[in-house]
Formats: sequence, structure tokens, C-alpha cells
Amino acid sequence: MRLSELLGCVVVDERGRLVGRVHDVRLVQDGPPIGQFGASLRLLGLLVGRHAIGARFGYDRGAMQGPWLLRWAVGLGRNGRYVDWGLVRVVDLEHRRIQIAGSVEDLGPPEPAR
Amino acid sequence: MNRGAAGRVLDAGLKLLDRQLIDSQGMLAGKVDDLELTPSQDDPQRLYVTAILAGPGALAGRLGGRLGHLLERTANRLRDSPQDRPARVPFGVVKQLNSAVDLWVAKEELETDRLEQWARQTIIAKLPGAGDAPQ
Repeated sequence: MRLSELLGCVVVDERGRLVGRVHDVRLVQDGPPIGQFGASLRLLGLLVGRHAIGARFGYDRGAMQGPWLLRWAVGLGRNGRYVDWGLVRVVDLEHRRIQIAGSVEDLGPPEPAR
Repeated sequence: MNRGAAGRVLDAGLKLLDRQLIDSQGMLAGKVDDLELTPSQDDPQRLYVTAILAGPGALAGRLGGRLGHLLERTANRLRDSPQDRPARVPFGVVKQLNSAVDLWVAKEELETDRLEQWARQTIIAKLPGAGDAPQ
């Protein structure tokens, strides 16, 4: 699988309700050693939202606040959500659709990566 | 949330995609156009980043549509490889991730350099006066 195949996929919850589109993929460096890099990067979760332009500016991440004018211009409330990869049940790359377990209402906003 | 995250956490699109690859000699060696994700043998649900995909063939996947398809076919034809896939840089040769991606190896050892080599040998070298260019 390629990262680009996940980006842009529509994410729906177990009842088929829209969560948003995948704007980014969160990785954690805790996997088995790979060559001289050290611990490999593991897919940790998906950053999902409904406003692609706002996500590009980083407004779907918790720490991003202003400037308020730009935030208003890209049409954002805080609607970015974080989907733990463990919640993913079906990845349908042909139809670019990802189904997750649980409800969209249980998903919180993404924390800033550290 | 970053539940279950014991190591460094980063967002691939923000911190990896479109970053410059720098080889062991400090030379530019392409850009991160895509990442290869491979399931763990023990647990197929766990996906690991196993390679950087670079060059027009990888970028084509992000462009999508007819333009992306055409670009990928053209890149695969030009590359010196029997496999129809983008140039691949194994993640094991990555030294560190900064504002650029530093590599342990020289660009000549990478698949990403093959298109450049092909263009140099097949097109540039045959241009009148190409041999007079200063090194």
C-alpha cells in the first residue's frame, strides 16, 4: 500500500455516517529496527476532516489557533478528527473508502504530534 | 490522541512528503513523493513504512487521473527496471529526518538516480558541445 492511496479516502463510521476525508497520516517510531534508521515508523492513525484547505494550513491540529482572519477565510470550525488505526475495519482502496468501528461522535480532535 | 505511542510521533504529510532527499555526499537525490506501507508479518493490521517512493512515477500516484497515469507509464518506461513501480529508496538507508531527509548512501546507489543517468547518457551527452561543459 502507498501513503497516497490513503490520503483523500472518505472515512465513515460503523453506521455509514461521514467522518471526513483523510488529510494526513500519523506515524510513530516504535517498530522493529529497519536498516541503519533504527526503529521503523508504524502507522498510528488518520487525521480526518472536512476542510482540506484548512488542514493544509494546520488548522485541523489542536495547537493551531490564529491568525483568526485566515482561520475564518478557510471556513473552519474545529472539525478535524483523529482516527486510531486500530479502529479501522475495512480499507476499500478501489472506492477510496475506509470504514471504522464505533461512532463518529466518539472521535476527538487530533493532538499535535510531538 | 496518540494512544499507544512510545516513540517519536510525526505526521507523514506534514513532516515527510515533499521533503528533499540528501545523499551521503550532501548532494540532492530527489524528493519524498510517496511512502510504501507494508503489513507486519505477525499482524497484518500493523503497517510499517518500508520505503520512500520518489520521482515522477511516485508523484503520479498523488496526481491521479489521466495525467497521473500517463506520467507513471512514461516514468516506468524510462527507468532501467523490469518492474512497473516507482523508484524506491529503502527506509533502512535513511540517516535522519530533519527539514530534509538525510541518507547514508550516495545518490548513484539509488534507483532515483537512474532517470537522471538515462537522460545524461541518452540525451545530454549527444548534444553538440556537451563534452565541453566544465566539471
